[in-house]
Amino acid sequence: MISARALTRRFGSRIAVDEVSFEVARGEILALLGPNGAGKTTTMRMLAGLIAPSSGSVTVDGVVLRRATGSALRGRIGFLTESPGLWDRLTVRENLHIYAGLYGLAQPRQAVDSAIESFGLAPYVSSRAAELSKGWRQKVALARTLLHSPAVLLLDEPTSGLDPEFTRSVRDMLDDRRQAGCAVLVSTHNLDEAERLADRVAVLHTRLLALDRPAALRQRLTTGRVIARIAGDAAAHLPTARRFDPAATVEGGLLILTLAGSDRDTPAFVRALVAAGADVLEVRPEIPALEDVYLHLMADQAQAVEEA
Amino acid sequence: MIRLRALLTKELLDVARNRAVLLPVFIAALVFLALPLLVAVIIPSTSGNALGDDDELSRISLMLGDPPGLSTNGRVQLFIFQQFLIAFLLMPVTGAMALAAHAIIGEKQARTLEPLLATPLTTSELLTAKVLGALIPTLGISMTGLVLYGLMIAATAEPGVLAAMLSPRTLILVLVVGPMCALVSLQMAIVISSRVNDARTAQQFGVLIVIPVSVLVIGQVSGALWLSATALGFVGAGLFVVWVCLTFLSVAMFERESILTKWR
Repeated sequence: MISARALTRRFGSRIAVDEVSFEVARGEILALLGPNGAGKTTTMRMLAGLIAPSSGSVTVDGVVLRRATGSALRGRIGFLTESPGLWDRLTVRENLHIYAGLYGLAQPRQAVDSAIESFGLAPYVSSRAAELSKGWRQKVALARTLLHSPAVLLLDEPTSGLDPEFTRSVRDMLDDRRQAGCAVLVSTHNLDEAERLADRVAVLHTRLLALDRPAALRQRLTTGRVIARIAGDAAAHLPTARRFDPAATVEGGLLILTLAGSDRDTPAFVRALVAAGADVLEVRPEIPALEDVYLHLMADQAQAVEEA
Repeated sequence: MIRLRALLTKELLDVARNRAVLLPVFIAALVFLALPLLVAVIIPSTSGNALGDDDELSRISLMLGDPPGLSTNGRVQLFIFQQFLIAFLLMPVTGAMALAAHAIIGEKQARTLEPLLATPLTTSELLTAKVLGALIPTLGISMTGLVLYGLMIAATAEPGVLAAMLSPRTLILVLVVGPMCALVSLQMAIVISSRVNDARTAQQFGVLIVIPVSVLVIGQVSGALWLSATALGFVGAGLFVVWVCLTFLSVAMFERESILTKWR
C-alpha cells in the first residue's frame, strides 16, 4: 500500500533519515519507534509528501510520490501531525467542513456529520477549537484526518499527552481502520501502545535498526531462561532443576534455570518436576518486554556510534 | 476550485471572527472620508474664506479643465475631492499589511500550516485563497468607503461637483487602479509572508509596500502629479502585469520544505 525505499533525507551535512526501507500493507498497523530526533517526523513528512527525500522514493499503491503526483496522492493519505493544528477561531464543524472541501469531497456535509457521530463530537460542534481541551482537540484532529476515508493513515504521536480513556478510544479507532483495510503507520514513544496495537514495529534511529513483529523482536533477546512457580518450597526442587542446569537458582520463591533449547527441554523439565512430587503452578520462558528490546537496540546503536 | 473556495471560506470566517484586524482599514476609511470634507467644506464655511477666493487653488484646479456649470468654488471642491479619491488606494494597502503579512507566517505560528499542506491543496490554490481572503474584506471596506464618499460629496459639495467627478478617469481609478493596486500589494505581502519566518519581520517589510503608493498620493495631493484617464489606464495595465509576475513568483518562491523544516 505505502512503501519507503532507501529513503534518505539530509539537512545540510546532517543526515536525518538514512536509507530507510519498509512497507505498510492494507489492514496493517506499523508502529515507528525511536527517540527524539531519530527521524520519525521527517520520515512521516516524506511519506505524506510534505518534504522530498534527498534520495530514495515513496510509493503509494505503486505510484511514486513526486511533485507531479503529490496533490493526487495526498488526497489518499490522512496525516495527523504532531500538533492538532486546528483553526482556533473556527468551530469544530467549520474546521471539519473546510477540510472536507480541501479534500474535494462531493458530499462534505455528510462526511462531516458522519465524523462528528463517529468521534462523539456532537456536544462540541458549535464550540470554537480554542475552547476545547487537549484531548478533544486531538479527537477533532483525528476526525479531520479520517474525513476523506484515506487508504493510508500516517499518525505522528496520536496519543501524546492524552488521558487513558482518550488513548483507549484512539486505539479502538485505529483498530477499526485496520479492519477497514487501511494501511496505518503510527509514530509513538509509547512502547506499550506499540505492542498492543501494532502488527509490526520499526525501530528507527536515523537508520532502521529493526523491523519485525513485536513477538519476534522480543524473541531476539530471549535468553533461554525458564521460570517455574511451584506450590510450597521451591528450594526443595532445586536438585531436580540442576539436573537440567547446574546454575539453576531460587529467586523470590521461583525456580530459575536456563535451558539450552527451551521449547525442546521444557516438557522434560516439567515431567521431572512432577515425578519428583512438585505441584507445578506455572512454567514459562522469560520473555523480555518490548521496552527491553528497544533499550537494547538503542544501546547497541550508541555503542556503534561511539566506536565509529 | 472546491479547495480554493474551502480555504477562502476559512479566511473570510477567520477575518469575521477577528474584526480587530480590520481596524486599521476602518480608521483609514474614516480619515479619508473626514479629511476632504474638512478641507473642501468645513474649514471654508467656518472660516468664511471661500475656496474660490484662493488664487493658487483656483489656478491649480484648472488642471482638471473648467467643467461647465461649476462655479470657481465648485471647481476647487471638485479638484480637492478628486485628489483625495486616490487616497482610497491606500486603504487596501493598509489591509494588505494587516492581513496578508500574517497569511503564511500566521498559519505556521498557529501550527495549522502542516495539516493544511498535507491536503491536496496546491501552492497556487493556497496563495490565491490567501490573496482573495485579504482582498475581499479590504476591497469591501474600500468600496463602501467610496460609496459613502460619493454620498458625502452629494450632500455637502456644491451642486454639480459629484456629477463632474463621475468621469471615465474616476471610474478607471476606482474600478481598475484601486483593485489592481490592492492586488499587487497583497501579492507582495504574501510573497514576503512566505519568505520570512517571523511576523514582525513580515510587517517591517510590509511597510515598504506603502512607499510607492504614498508617493503617488502625495504627488496627487500636492498637485505635482496629475494622471489623466489614459495614464491611469496604463498604470492599471502595468499593475496587472506586475500582479501576474508576482503571482508566478510567489508560487515559485513558496518552499513548503523550508517553511516546515526551518521555521520555528
